Amino acid sequence: MAMKYAYHPGNIAHSSATEVSQTMEPTARSLGIELLPMNGATSCGAGIIRQANDLLQVTLNARNFAIAESMGMDIITPCAATAGNLNEDLARLNDDPLLLAKTNEVLQRTSGLTMSGKLSIHHLLHVIVDEIGLDKVSEKVRNPIDFPIAGFYGPNMQQEGACGEDDVFDPQYLELLIKALGGEPVMWESRTQSVGVPGLFSEEATVLRQIASTINDAKSEGAAMIVSACTLSHTALDIYQGKASRTTGLSTNIPVIHLTEMLAFAFGHYNNRLAQLRTRIAVIGD
Amino acid sequence: MSAPTLLILFGSESGNSEDLASIAEKQAKSLGLSPSVKGMEEMEIGDLDGAKNVLIFCSTWGEGEMPDNAVDLWEAANGDSPPSLSGCNFAVCALGDTSYEFFCQSGKDWDGWFEKQGATRLLERVDCDVEYDDPAAEFTTNALTLIASAGAGGKALSPAETSVESEESSEETGSEKAQDETASGDLEGLISSGDRSLVILFGSQSGNSEELAAKISKDAKSYGLVGEVHDMDGFDFNSLSGKKRVMIICSTWGEGEMPDNAEDLWQFAISDSASRLEGTHFAICALGDTSYEFFCQSGKDWDGRFEGLGATRIIVRLDCDVDYDAPAAEWTLEALPALAAVDSTGQFHEEMVDSIKMYVSGSSAGAEGDDGFSLPKIRSEPVQVGVTVFRYDPETSSTGTDTWICSLHGHMSVLEVLRTLKSSQDGSLTFRDGSADDSNTAISVNGRLILPGLSRIDSVAPMREGAISLRIEPLPGFEVIRDLAIDPWSLERKRESSDPWMVAATREGAHTPQGTMGTMDPAVAARIHSMRDFGSQNILHSSSDAVPHANGYLGPAVIASSWSRRNDPRTSPSKGEEIDRLLSSPNGIKAETDLAPIKRQSSVPSAVSEALLEVKNSVLTGDGFNGKHGKHVWWYTWTVKSSGMVNDTVIYRQALGPFALLGNLFSGVTARMVFGFTRTGGNVFNGMLGMVAPPAGIGKMPKQFNSSVDNHHEVVAIFNEMDGRF
Repeated sequence: MAMKYAYHPGNIAHSSATEVSQTMEPTARSLGIELLPMNGATSCGAGIIRQANDLLQVTLNARNFAIAESMGMDIITPCAATAGNLNEDLARLNDDPLLLAKTNEVLQRTSGLTMSGKLSIHHLLHVIVDEIGLDKVSEKVRNPIDFPIAGFYGPNMQQEGACGEDDVFDPQYLELLIKALGGEPVMWESRTQSVGVPGLFSEEATVLRQIASTINDAKSEGAAMIVSACTLSHTALDIYQGKASRTTGLSTNIPVIHLTEMLAFAFGHYNNRLAQLRTRIAVIGD
Repeated sequence: MSAPTLLILFGSESGNSEDLASIAEKQAKSLGLSPSVKGMEEMEIGDLDGAKNVLIFCSTWGEGEMPDNAVDLWEAANGDSPPSLSGCNFAVCALGDTSYEFFCQSGKDWDGWFEKQGATRLLERVDCDVEYDDPAAEFTTNALTLIASAGAGGKALSPAETSVESEESSEETGSEKAQDETASGDLEGLISSGDRSLVILFGSQSGNSEELAAKISKDAKSYGLVGEVHDMDGFDFNSLSGKKRVMIICSTWGEGEMPDNAEDLWQFAISDSASRLEGTHFAICALGDTSYEFFCQSGKDWDGRFEGLGATRIIVRLDCDVDYDAPAAEWTLEALPALAAVDSTGQFHEEMVDSIKMYVSGSSAGAEGDDGFSLPKIRSEPVQVGVTVFRYDPETSSTGTDTWICSLHGHMSVLEVLRTLKSSQDGSLTFRDGSADDSNTAISVNGRLILPGLSRIDSVAPMREGAISLRIEPLPGFEVIRDLAIDPWSLERKRESSDPWMVAATREGAHTPQGTMGTMDPAVAARIHSMRDFGSQNILHSSSDAVPHANGYLGPAVIASSWSRRNDPRTSPSKGEEIDRLLSSPNGIKAETDLAPIKRQSSVPSAVSEALLEVKNSVLTGDGFNGKHGKHVWWYTWTVKSSGMVNDTVIYRQALGPFALLGNLFSGVTARMVFGFTRTGGNVFNGMLGMVAPPAGIGKMPKQFNSSVDNHHEVVAIFNEMDGRF
């Protein structure tokens, strides 16, 4: 029987990371996950709305939780930033009954919804490892992703209570998954560090150094590709890698794909894209 | 002194033994040995002549046969002129499968052969079942440690020691060492070193024996024994020949018969094929029913047979009636300490039995308080710990890492580990030492920023496959003086530049019995205190992932301290304005690119990370959301209000402005977005928009307009209720 989740695609899967939404659906199908759209759900705030008004982001996410609760489901997302932000706000609401009551008042007044907090937020990675099982994932592999792969977690999801049973600072879920898909996981230090996405437009020089340092670390450990569990970081590591290299002088050309792409390719979807990825790794380099 | 040589031989059919040999080679190098790994097919028997240390990993194939690559060497070994191996130390790790009759036979054969040639067994052979990882890892660590200590004369780690300590003897063998430990009356040494396995075999018809075996196995832990409970059915009797402690719990069935699961083993035990059991100490608990003629006959049979095979009875057999609980419990209290007093060489130390009993009952452990309250002695099992330490030598400007594999107790602090490594392994290891809560001792362990004196090693890294791996590095964001010692002055200079001193406001005092003094609301006092209540400013500074990359950034420690002062009602208005200017400067909070890495550090209190968010709110609001930073936040929030979803195009355009957009056109950013489809394999055009209003909607370029989410009016209502600015 399919596992049913309320699906939050993250913040940019509808825009500059369409490949994530394209590959998430067939991936979920192969894994036996039924994704039910959260009609009316908003951006998680990405920790950016919080900078303007903390309670505004909490209330917007409370509405997202209320929508999922009305569906009777937990939330799944392929974006680590979204998983981290939703988990953070859910924990705050659950830990502070006064805040929950006040937020519910606002929600009731503005949308007729209320939330109880009795739901959980899952990143796709944690559903795969904790709920589905890596052995079952291995059985579904049609195209082994047989490269040295550096898995990138980012900092948002790697928080206590937001990363399943995995360790916050020394995680292994992504590495275990890469192995299950036939790849060779690369161990590197920067995999849980921030690449500074919230400051991308404002502190570009710093962020470019963060991006370059992260990619360079993966490359120097022998990675042929980076796979990111975070949609925002994935986009920054991909699009800004050329500029980061020119700014810092570090070598940064490397293919960066999202976790859902890697899974979809391994399960036999988009074989043409996998062929293209192989070419990029073997010939082009980024 | 040259590194001790070590020959690692593997006999492998499926590659498992070869893998173990490779792991042993790496571990041996880290211990300063000079290992060479050889498949047995690469060896001539004469090559063993002169070998000083030999480790053998060998699997068994088929009906107790050597694996293919070991057959020739084994034949040669049993030829006419085997070499003399006196002076050679050896240890054997045998791989096998208990479901086969000749379990680990090849390993047993090699073990016997080396002994026969005069070599000295470093430690007892380990016979591994199909789940060989953990026992093999323990074997390897123990064997290599003994070899390293024998060769290096006092630099190696003993596997079961409570901490990393120097070995005393350079030529001591494992058995001699065990004897020395116990001869000196070292209770801790006896019950925590060497082979501490206790094989518990149960012959059960109704399940009582099995249940009792499980309970005794659990109790055995308190005596420093490792209980291994085995069903008699399918057990390899001859594997007992290398065991030092065996307990049998067996019921009797019918007219004095063995229970069903014990019959085959019994038949083997009384056959000529059964191995002799000299060196084995045994204890037997027989379950029965006095209403039957042959009361406890099976237990009696086992008792007699073990004695007949040369094993030593360590305690008189217990024959239980149907109410066996109480007598069995009482008997166990005598049997386990006696078995625990058998050391890893098989020698029974009768004089230690009472000490062991007292030790376990708690009367010799812990401290006695005045009121008779006994403080428990906190103990935890030793675990294998891999400690990798960052090294930097300023004289040669060289960096690298050193790795030690140790057996340590999980409750040791990281600081204790560093101290022990420095005192016993490498005196040049440099780190800041101090009291447990000395903030200057802060380091990074696997990315966690900690005070090492307050952090147990089992709390800073996950236990995986029975081992803990510690990667110890200096705090990021600081210049390194040597190894783990950082130069805190870079932060001190930033702190100094923030003019951290108090400029007090003129306030009205309150008349109190102590005189006139200023007062403060307790809630305000608690709040401003909590903002800067971080244990170590160095840790807080390092917790930002932006600090190492942002030149001039003051860092979260200086910002949190300044914000605390800013909120202090004793601060003068002019000083408050000065702090505001500092916080909103380019090196202030705007330079922090991501607060998430700070928040997740458990060493950073939540009140501090919340304070940093408050600073950001305050600065952005104070600036009217102007500048790139403010515009980014404002337009992000605005697009969510306008459609419920983020509109990257709007943020990109509004935050960067025309010049930066033009810059991105030439820097390749725009090109990588437009040509994103060449990397993702996705569509060239994302909908009609890409064709009518390019470049939006082409490749990875986001669309210019978002459709609104369902019930968008609810989102707008929330915004209007919560923040009318957007």
